[in-house]
Amino acid sequence: MKFSKIAAPLVWALPCAGLIAAGAAWAAEEHVVAQKNKSFTTKKLTVKVGDSVKFVNEDSFAHNVFSLSAAKSFDLGSFGNGGTKSVTFDKPGKVEVECAVHPDMRLDIEVKP
Amino acid sequence: MTTSALRRLRVGAALAVLLVPLLANAQPAQPAAQKATQGSLLPKDSIDAATFRGGLVFANYCVTCHGINADGNGRAARLYNPKPANLRASDKNDAYFGLIIRKGGAALGRSEFMPTWDAELTNEQISDLVAYLRSINATKN
Repeated sequence: MKFSKIAAPLVWALPCAGLIAAGAAWAAEEHVVAQKNKSFTTKKLTVKVGDSVKFVNEDSFAHNVFSLSAAKSFDLGSFGNGGTKSVTFDKPGKVEVECAVHPDMRLDIEVKP
Repeated sequence: MTTSALRRLRVGAALAVLLVPLLANAQPAQPAAQKATQGSLLPKDSIDAATFRGGLVFANYCVTCHGINADGNGRAARLYNPKPANLRASDKNDAYFGLIIRKGGAALGRSEFMPTWDAELTNEQISDLVAYLRSINATKN
């Protein structure tokens, strides 16, 4: 009787702690990549499924970030100085990110499971 | 044959080896061909030169969406609905082309995905691009 009173909270507490720890490990991260001097500030980036990347325009002119990759196709449209746009990666794979206005800009993102 | 005669013979042979190709190349050039290749291939201010330069601008900046054939079937076209404009079938005039290139699609009530190019392209590049678009336009407006 005494044992069950002591053990009962533990029976609940231990799985809860485990779930919290697992949740923290799986929590989606936000990565930040800026556009500066007509290039991405990072050339290669590794993220996990569920993570997002925030694109920040630090140039004085507009950028238009897009990707045609099978793992993630998107077009964030034009955004000017100080503008930010985010994209979440929901499938594993390789994503080549480009800028429609500046053909030499390139960022490779690897989305891990 | 004396030694000096042999030396003269060798020198003569060497000169012949050197001079024959030179003389062969020294044949007079064909005057007509030479005349035809004088001067600029495309005078800088000619419409042909503008069209040529505009084609280079198009190939560098526009093909991703509008396609190498300018028919709206670029590799990024699948991202958009409506798809990028078929520029060969466009009924817009040069002023409109210039405006939408500079200000982008949203400013003219068209696709927001047509970027503004006024910060990227020079006035000359935009003018050349318009000349190129006019040259490939089938409506001949």
